[in-house]
Amino acid sequence: MYQYSEFDRSFVNQRVAHYRDQTQRYLDGKLSDDEFLQLRLRNGLYIQRLAPMLRVAVPYGTLSSKQLRALAAISRDYDRGYGHLSTRQNMQFNWPALEDVPDILQALADVDMHAIQTSGSCIRNVTTDQFAGAAADETIDPRPFCELLRQWSTSHPEFEWLPRKFKIAVTGAAQDRAAIGVHDIGMRIYGDDEHPEDALIDIYAGGGLGRTPVLGALIREKLPAKDLLTYTEALMRVYNRYGRRDNKYKARIKILVRAMTPEGFKAQVDAEWEHIKDSPSTVPAAELHRLRDFFRPPAFAQQTDVSTLLADLRLTHRDFDRWIQHNVTPHRADGYAVVTLSTKSIGVPPGDVSSEQIDAVANWADQYSYSEIRISHEQNFVLPHVAKANLFELWQQATAVGLGSFNMGLLSDMICCPGGDYCSLANAKSLPVAEAIQRRFADYDFQFDLGDIDLNISGCMNACGHHHVGHIGILGVDKKGQEFYQISLGGHAGHSGEAPKLGQIVGPSVARAEVCDVIEKILHVYIAQRFDGESFLGCFNRIGIDPFKESIYASAA
Amino acid sequence: MPQLLRNVEQNWQIIDEADTHWLAEDDWRAGEPLQVGVDSEPDRKWLDASAIAVDFPALTDGRGLSLAALLRTRLYYTGDLVARGNVHEDIVHFLARSGFNVIELPEGKDLNTALKWVSPHTEYYQASVANPKPLFAAKN
Ligand code: HEM
Ligand code: SF4
Repeated sequence: MYQYSEFDRSFVNQRVAHYRDQTQRYLDGKLSDDEFLQLRLRNGLYIQRLAPMLRVAVPYGTLSSKQLRALAAISRDYDRGYGHLSTRQNMQFNWPALEDVPDILQALADVDMHAIQTSGSCIRNVTTDQFAGAAADETIDPRPFCELLRQWSTSHPEFEWLPRKFKIAVTGAAQDRAAIGVHDIGMRIYGDDEHPEDALIDIYAGGGLGRTPVLGALIREKLPAKDLLTYTEALMRVYNRYGRRDNKYKARIKILVRAMTPEGFKAQVDAEWEHIKDSPSTVPAAELHRLRDFFRPPAFAQQTDVSTLLADLRLTHRDFDRWIQHNVTPHRADGYAVVTLSTKSIGVPPGDVSSEQIDAVANWADQYSYSEIRISHEQNFVLPHVAKANLFELWQQATAVGLGSFNMGLLSDMICCPGGDYCSLANAKSLPVAEAIQRRFADYDFQFDLGDIDLNISGCMNACGHHHVGHIGILGVDKKGQEFYQISLGGHAGHSGEAPKLGQIVGPSVARAEVCDVIEKILHVYIAQRFDGESFLGCFNRIGIDPFKESIYASAA
Repeated sequence: MPQLLRNVEQNWQIIDEADTHWLAEDDWRAGEPLQVGVDSEPDRKWLDASAIAVDFPALTDGRGLSLAALLRTRLYYTGDLVARGNVHEDIVHFLARSGFNVIELPEGKDLNTALKWVSPHTEYYQASVANPKPLFAAKN
């Protein structure tokens, strides 16, 4: 894991001091609401419908057990005993008092964490593959590059006041678990950990969801690693200068790229880059090595072969068997596995975790996973390095505190935004829809039979729940003051090694009470039409949207 | 009298200076002080200005920061570069690092607060106009 230097530490402390002064000036009436809004957003504080929300940065989703314990303490001391895992691998707290935020930020700084640039029109926390450094299909660990970008983008003199928020995602694996196609910049790194200076990076720009969903365009192939910062600087400068500022809905880089065409945008970035290409921000090989060394895998112990033992336990414990099948992913190192601890159980909003659960995960990380934890885009916890010999013990403990659901990738492992219960922008509630679907399809045998299905729910077209890239997407819409839901099918975020794809809207939106029935019809069309072993997405791609349409709207016609 | 911070030999100070009569590009001639908008394209002609001011329409408008960086690093402009308009006490450090050497605060803003936060950090990660060497240049 990355370890803070004295520099990093003093930087975040100085940032807290500045924000403490800003908060005080606001409370003294010296800063207006509008002025303070801009300053607090850049320190993670967002005011929602019911209360402030503080978004804590978890750089590239990686945490130590010590940091996770500090988050548990914050959830206990300043929140109502829980926290929320976001789709951007961050941790959010929903009820902090504005006056307490400087103290919370200090508590974070004390464990080498911060909330810098987690909101506002600036470069946000860089996200990546939650299995980085552990996944078997990875060729190069993206985290050293993410850390390089984190440092470079922190309080950047030129790029803190952009037209709109700016999100960067990076992956180094064959399967894109970071959804790089739907980010403002997506980066796919090719290379190996031994020679990060030889790595080559494909750069995609202009992806994003929201009300105008767009997939990023490939604007630079095989960028040498040393040029990562100068090229990003050129790109950001073009966006900062020419991105629209007159209309907040047209201010994302995707609109600029579309207006200039990807070729035009690329030409402009290249022209800018010519001037700064070999500037001192060119990254020396030594720096890439230095960062790489932080992310070296732990010294894995030689493990005795436990395959017979595991096979026996799987025979005698059906749920353990299911958990292994769904929530345990292959690891690069012999004798180890990657474990996903699902936050998705019925009646709990996806991503919500209690202080006790957070503490428990920190303890398991110490016991079983070299003190390391990840947060996934699907709003789950991940223990990246668990010896197979410990899987059974871990599963028992996780099950005891409600983190042992064996539903990773299944229908009930859904992504869902806070929606109308919490968010003032919502057109409709999303959490009750998620819960109703979880209840309707609670039968795990049915879910297993369905196999991998991404179901994503957003309460409005801002698309925080990524509905466009769900195999099944549900979007809350307002119809004459009533909550309705638009269903789309066939989207995906590039998870299967293919380019990501946006879902197709299946037809007129439906009332809340009908959503579960519609989902059921969709699932039954799939079951009736699928070939042996064909996934939902594969089946949809083969048969198209019409059979689904017919089944859903047949009676109405 | 405008409220000004000026960088005097790497030391930011509050100073009293007479009002400058800034001219928009259309009315401006070489040798006179020029005021440009944040959406202007930097022009070599500007190098003949006695001083250049960039007018910030809003505290959140970062275009002036890129413009300043281009003036300093692309046109090698070395004269006075003044940030004015909707400039805020808490963004002066971005201005200072992007190449402005004079910052004019609007009415109602506090120069002492601005001076206090003109450099909230002892050092920064990335290169800037004020310090073209990124932190890693010192490390490696
Ligand atoms: C309740 C408070 C929230 C509000 C008011 C809010 C508001 C917004 C808005 C306005 C956008 C669209 C931005 C744009 O297109 O320019 C957006 C995007 C997004 N939000 Fe939220 N959000 C909230 C909570 C969340 C939460 C809890 C999550 C994570 C679970 C989240 C994840 C996202 C993501 C990933 C996007 C990006 C979609 C894209 O690429 O355009 N949001 N949010
Ligand atoms: S998608 Fe809409 S309703 Fe859901 S959190 Fe985002 S802004 Fe709120």
